[in-house]
Amino acid sequence: MITIGKAKDAKEMSLEGVGASPGIAIGKAFVIAGEQVKVDPRQISDEGVPAEIEKLMSAIERAKNDLRLDRSTAANKVGREKARIFDAHQMFLEDEMLIGEAKELIRAQHLSADSAFYEVVQKYQNHLGQTVAETFRDRVADLRDIKRRVVRHIQGVRRDFLSQLEGSAIIVARDLTPSDTINLDRHKILGFATDMGGRTSHASLVARSYEVPAVVGLREIFKMVKTGDRLVLDGSAGVAIVHPSVSTLKKYRKRQIKQHEISKKLDTLRDLPARTADGKNIELAANIEFADETDSVMAHGARGIGLFRTEYLYMKTSVLPTEDEQFETYRDITQRMRPYPVIFRTMDLGGDKSPTCINIPPEDNPFLGWRAIRISLEMKEVFLAQIRAILRASDFGNAKILLPMISGIGELKEALDLIDRAKDQLKRKTIRYSESTEVGVMIEVPSAAIIADLIAERVDFLSIGTNDLVQYVLAVDRGNERIAHLYKNLHPAVLRLLRDVVRAAHQKGVWVGMCGEMAADPLATLLLIGLEFDELSVSPIIVPEIKRIIRAVNYQEAASITRKIMEFSTAEEIEHFMMRYMRRKFKDMVF
Amino acid sequence: MIETKIRIQNKLGLHARPAARFVKTASRFRSDVCIARDDQVVNGKSIMGVMMLAAEFGSELIISTTGDDEKQAMKALVDLFERKFDED
Repeated sequence: MITIGKAKDAKEMSLEGVGASPGIAIGKAFVIAGEQVKVDPRQISDEGVPAEIEKLMSAIERAKNDLRLDRSTAANKVGREKARIFDAHQMFLEDEMLIGEAKELIRAQHLSADSAFYEVVQKYQNHLGQTVAETFRDRVADLRDIKRRVVRHIQGVRRDFLSQLEGSAIIVARDLTPSDTINLDRHKILGFATDMGGRTSHASLVARSYEVPAVVGLREIFKMVKTGDRLVLDGSAGVAIVHPSVSTLKKYRKRQIKQHEISKKLDTLRDLPARTADGKNIELAANIEFADETDSVMAHGARGIGLFRTEYLYMKTSVLPTEDEQFETYRDITQRMRPYPVIFRTMDLGGDKSPTCINIPPEDNPFLGWRAIRISLEMKEVFLAQIRAILRASDFGNAKILLPMISGIGELKEALDLIDRAKDQLKRKTIRYSESTEVGVMIEVPSAAIIADLIAERVDFLSIGTNDLVQYVLAVDRGNERIAHLYKNLHPAVLRLLRDVVRAAHQKGVWVGMCGEMAADPLATLLLIGLEFDELSVSPIIVPEIKRIIRAVNYQEAASITRKIMEFSTAEEIEHFMMRYMRRKFKDMVF
Repeated sequence: MIETKIRIQNKLGLHARPAARFVKTASRFRSDVCIARDDQVVNGKSIMGVMMLAAEFGSELIISTTGDDEKQAMKALVDLFERKFDED
């Protein structure tokens, strides 16, 4: 949606997109003009053909060299896994059909090398752009990337266009490709604004890891903005303002300063405990997926890992990870976090995560299908290897085991038997592990929530995974845009279930945590304290905000608000009430 | 020339990774390999071609192999589809 502002020059324009990384950025735009490669329109002569083909081939060779370089840079910066996209680019540049067609255009139509290559790739790009499936449409950016690489080499244009970036800027692009971002100097980037993409697009991921604001899905910003234009980004509201008026700039500068103060204040919280004003301690931990995220966990002041997702170990190659390979990862993390706990969730594959190393046949309802512990209990050797790896890591710090997708006591007993068997196997080989390694169950299936007391009797802790639990309780697929509005963390049914689970666990003397997205929702924090959660685990970047709320409220206050909320009958009433309450209490925060 | 009709069984369709595997396998044989979807026919030894089919889950393809090792080539390729490219 576009609204024309009232500014005197009438040029100010506000664009709505998707807020992909929070914060406010004010600065000049630097447009990455991916499409703006200009090709040489001139026809070549008959005699010129061999030289032009030679030009094309050597440019492709040089582009392939660049790719190898970028691949290793990327591997160092973002990990080998994410660098794999460059392998696909490499294959495109070796494609005989593609190269053959470009050569043919040079030969038959006497096009220059750059326009021939451009035309051929553009044709494929257009074709793919029209397909319905997202997996295929997403490859358009990859094609654009290789097109640019080769054309630049043919024209002898230097590729490090980002060295042109003097001073800091907001990066504006239609869409960002991995090779765009890999060479960016992160200290010069104020934010990202792109036409395409959602919260999981490449630009969004990079923005969140650089901790700069990003607004994606803006549709028209690329067309409207030139390098050097002034721009305001509000990554929390998902708004970009082009040619901001003086008063708009003033308004956002004020907000920016305020946010800066808040984040400085949040920094000072790093070493302080997550304790309410009246002295109730909450364990505030972080959810992570990669071992190298532990630095970020510590930097943001979390005390422990409340959820370490182990899936990527199974997703990264087509062979199953060995026990030793897993052990090394688990040990490193456990050692780094020592003395704080690290909770390892056993592999949660299936659903929307299909690995290449395990054959999960297509199902009509993957989220109700063969996934997580259901796979583990069938593939006992795979499960035992993972458990042994976690147990071995427990000798190096405080490791805990979390079992996902348990739906009944039968499964739990079977899993616990296997854990005992893994211990026996280690004992027989006299390999050390900590006998006191805690075992917990992830409460994410409604049946498990309802029999939480029976589960709690048999384990050391419970951790509520709200993403799946809410989806199952409300029968709402969040990915389905038509009904996504029905997905409500603060639905009375969800809150009652949470209350009952916590009560059941406490009656059996075990602690309860929450590791789903609800734990990261500042609107819910007060209620979670009131419901007496012992632990909350959120992504590292969210930790300071949640800690601040915890430290500013009283447990008594939270408990009485929660009692009141429990009498409301709709999610909307609860949201509305909490919004008003929190806004009054935290005037500087955005809810 | 021999032809086989197959239906895509992996959830994400013939996207980049399986397309790459198909091309690599096809390239091991001397025979020409083509894939047809509806009226679109592409060279099975070109990643670009195979990607352009944008063959999603459930779509029907006709693979044809032509040459002295056409039988072996067909067997290897059909096998890939039957194993769902070891994907899901």
